[in-house]
Amino acid sequence: MAPSGGWVGKILRVDLTNWKISEISTFDYVPKFLGGRGLGAKIYWDEVPPEVGALDPENRLIFATGPLQGTMAPTSGRFMVLGKSPQTAPTESFCRSGVGGHWAPELKWAGYDALIIQGKSPKPVYLWITDQKAEILDATRLWGLDTYRTQQMIWKLHGPKTRVMVIGKAGENRSRIACILTDSGDASGQGGFGGVMGSKNLKAIAVRGTGSVIVARPKELMEITHRIQSLFSRKSLKSNPYQPEEKGFKYNIWGGGYGRGSLSLLQGELLDLCQDPSSGYSQTPEGCFACPVSCRSHVKGPDIIKGVAFCAQSYMYLESLVHQPEKGYSKITWQAAKLADLYGINAYELMAIIPWLADCFREKLITEEGTGLPLKEIGSWNFISKLLHQMAEREGFGDLLAEGGQRAAAKLGGKAEKLSQMYYPRAGKFGGYREHWVYLGGFPTGYAVPPLALMWVLDNRDALVSHSFISMLWGAAFTIGQNALTAVPEKIFPILKPVMKAAYGSAEAAEFFRADGKSLNWKWTAPVVKRYHEHSLLKDSYIVCDILFPYLFNANSSDHVGDSTLESRLYSAVTGMEMSLEESYKKGEMLCTLERALAVRDGRTRKDDILHDLYFEKEDAGGRKYLREDLERSKSEYYSRMGWDVKTGIPTASTLEQWDLKEVAEDFQRRKILGQRS
Amino acid sequence: MNGEVNRRTILKGFTVGIFGLGGVISLGNFLEVLTFPNGQKVALAKGVILVDKSLCSGCRICEMVCANFNSAGRNAASLSRILLEKEYLGGDYQPKVCHQCADPPCLKVCPVTALQVDRQKGTYARVIDERACIGCQKCVEACRQYFRPSRPRFDVQKNRAVKCHLCFGDPQCVKFCPLGVLRVERSEKGLLVGYPVIKED
Ligand code: SF4
Ligand code: SF4
Ligand code: SF4
Repeated sequence: MAPSGGWVGKILRVDLTNWKISEISTFDYVPKFLGGRGLGAKIYWDEVPPEVGALDPENRLIFATGPLQGTMAPTSGRFMVLGKSPQTAPTESFCRSGVGGHWAPELKWAGYDALIIQGKSPKPVYLWITDQKAEILDATRLWGLDTYRTQQMIWKLHGPKTRVMVIGKAGENRSRIACILTDSGDASGQGGFGGVMGSKNLKAIAVRGTGSVIVARPKELMEITHRIQSLFSRKSLKSNPYQPEEKGFKYNIWGGGYGRGSLSLLQGELLDLCQDPSSGYSQTPEGCFACPVSCRSHVKGPDIIKGVAFCAQSYMYLESLVHQPEKGYSKITWQAAKLADLYGINAYELMAIIPWLADCFREKLITEEGTGLPLKEIGSWNFISKLLHQMAEREGFGDLLAEGGQRAAAKLGGKAEKLSQMYYPRAGKFGGYREHWVYLGGFPTGYAVPPLALMWVLDNRDALVSHSFISMLWGAAFTIGQNALTAVPEKIFPILKPVMKAAYGSAEAAEFFRADGKSLNWKWTAPVVKRYHEHSLLKDSYIVCDILFPYLFNANSSDHVGDSTLESRLYSAVTGMEMSLEESYKKGEMLCTLERALAVRDGRTRKDDILHDLYFEKEDAGGRKYLREDLERSKSEYYSRMGWDVKTGIPTASTLEQWDLKEVAEDFQRRKILGQRS
Repeated sequence: MNGEVNRRTILKGFTVGIFGLGGVISLGNFLEVLTFPNGQKVALAKGVILVDKSLCSGCRICEMVCANFNSAGRNAASLSRILLEKEYLGGDYQPKVCHQCADPPCLKVCPVTALQVDRQKGTYARVIDERACIGCQKCVEACRQYFRPSRPRFDVQKNRAVKCHLCFGDPQCVKFCPLGVLRVERSEKGLLVGYPVIKED
């Protein structure tokens, strides 16, 4: 069946070396590879062999939307950035990074489903894409400007309705942890693609479209949207945008106990100001395109940098709360995050680098003289402004830190490297990504949850960025009036059971430790993680929001069972192509195998799917430990369920054939890396 | 006539509170039809959309649902009959709605009377009969004299103008706005709204 909506049909290829612009058909790739992460993975497979380095001109910087972008489908503002990542450490490899905001629909309305950027321009340039055409324009005068200023200059030239993806100083200086930012803070952070953009001498990508995206079944799309909206949110109280008009509605998990704008400011100086109407400061809900939740908030005030506040980014400098406990979340906390945005540094990496520097200083491994940083005052404005400046300009010690925390730690070696393992859990050749709930800072804090460990060893970047699994755990905790930090696991098992049954096919999967309370229950780990990966690939390929989809936990119903059919129904309504849930999971599995193949071609095997020893040494709050044997057994089960060779973790020839990925099988044969039939 | 308008302009001051520029007054039955100096009579609209921009998150669902519903699945901000003006860095978001003016500049200039009052659906909204419209864009120009951007918009592909028609009485943008920024004000007696009560927005 041919699609009758969704994709607009063209992919733009920009060769910056020769300033050549061309187009290819999206339908060479879709519907098979859907869009977003799936589409990008296939383009990467075809065009970026393992020999190409992340900062080489021949690396591809891929910006991919999916079939839902540019339509009213909830949370369709998102898109994916993909390519060889300079952040993955120590081996550069494939990575993806999602971005929210309002850039994606403009690209679709301008007539393109995706961009492939290759080569390196002889001088700084930016790209201007509007209504079926693209131009490479001189950016000499933009080079060196911060991310806000650059956008303002481009708006002057191309109008304020233009949306811009832009790099700051960090990207220009090819930092491996530079982000690409749009508007007041939405960014592609993980992967370090800002550095890739800088290596191509590309300062910004400005898009504006006045065309449209056809929806095959508009009425059906409205019905599903209405259902999603009624599941996710309620209209606001007039006096308070953060409270629902209707009492008793608990929102979704990402409103949870916090109301709309769950990722807003923490208690302290700045929030107090925002809540005082006469102060001139304010915090209001800020939505990504077509989002019914608006988890983020927009913060402004007379002497602070205005912009969007959300998770990770606005919590980047929590050290400042310790430094000035009486102030709590202060203007300094906020300004630090915004300064990182202006320089275009990935805030999530800073959340590893700063505490690691503090550890190293405490252990006398680094000094103030040696680094040129006021390490005694970590938490102060003086420290953070100097650190960010050094990192963005690659001055002194900042030159090393601009390589990313894991690479910097490896360079220092010894104890400094050992200390960094606390922040970078994955050992082997494909790490480089900061901890994200794997264990120690996870949910419920200090509780070991077996699927989290397996997700972490398998991912190409930080795992758990697809928040669906964690959302269930949090949802269950909220439901019994506990928060994510204090929840007692036993108490949430009964609530999780029907939810896990619906989401993963097993009620027992909810019990992540055994009745004796002493040992972890690994039995359902592999099938749960496999389904989790399918969910994750699908939502990144259609593309819908990372934290809201799949909707597995309903805070407002009595059994709390969510609805995992929403994304595939959106897809069907928009494209006019049927997609059953079962069929979609198969597609997710295929894409997951393709992504694995990308890592395998870059040299990854089972040996790289490991965590540092530290994660097996520590007991959790209930006195339980992750045991290496258990994790290894779950890995074997996962590989065999996926049709990957159990010994090597490499997809087998028959699996690749089954998914119609012959080109992958052939390449593996040529490179002699093909796994044995298991 | 002038006296009436002036009195109402003052009254308007009371309603410009939280709902900003969408000043509205519901009138007694003697004024369901406004007579203009040139003798033309235009029945007042019985519904209008009001905006409380302080709640707006800038999500643009209003625009998208409007285009999807009213342009047969062509999803595009450029086709929406409600327009979201956004200052992204400053965080200032302003949905611009059609005021269903008491004395509608668009309606009066249409050379082929494609612009009409929707009596059939009972909303008395100012609507464009797409079969009659010749795409001259005079309505777009006329609206722009007072309201920017112009509320009627030009659909390039179909070569005709489009404008808010209150969705046959069930405004979809209001229904789908997740924050409750948009509300409908209705009055069977008619509403004295838009031009000439307010002359710019
Ligand atoms: S564009 Fe159509 S509705 Fe507008 S004035 Fe011209 S004919 Fe009338
Ligand atoms: S009422 Fe209907 S036509 Fe008017 S702006 Fe809202 S959705 Fe569009
Ligand atoms: S749907 Fe509501 S919150 Fe979203 S942009 Fe429109 S008016 Fe603002």
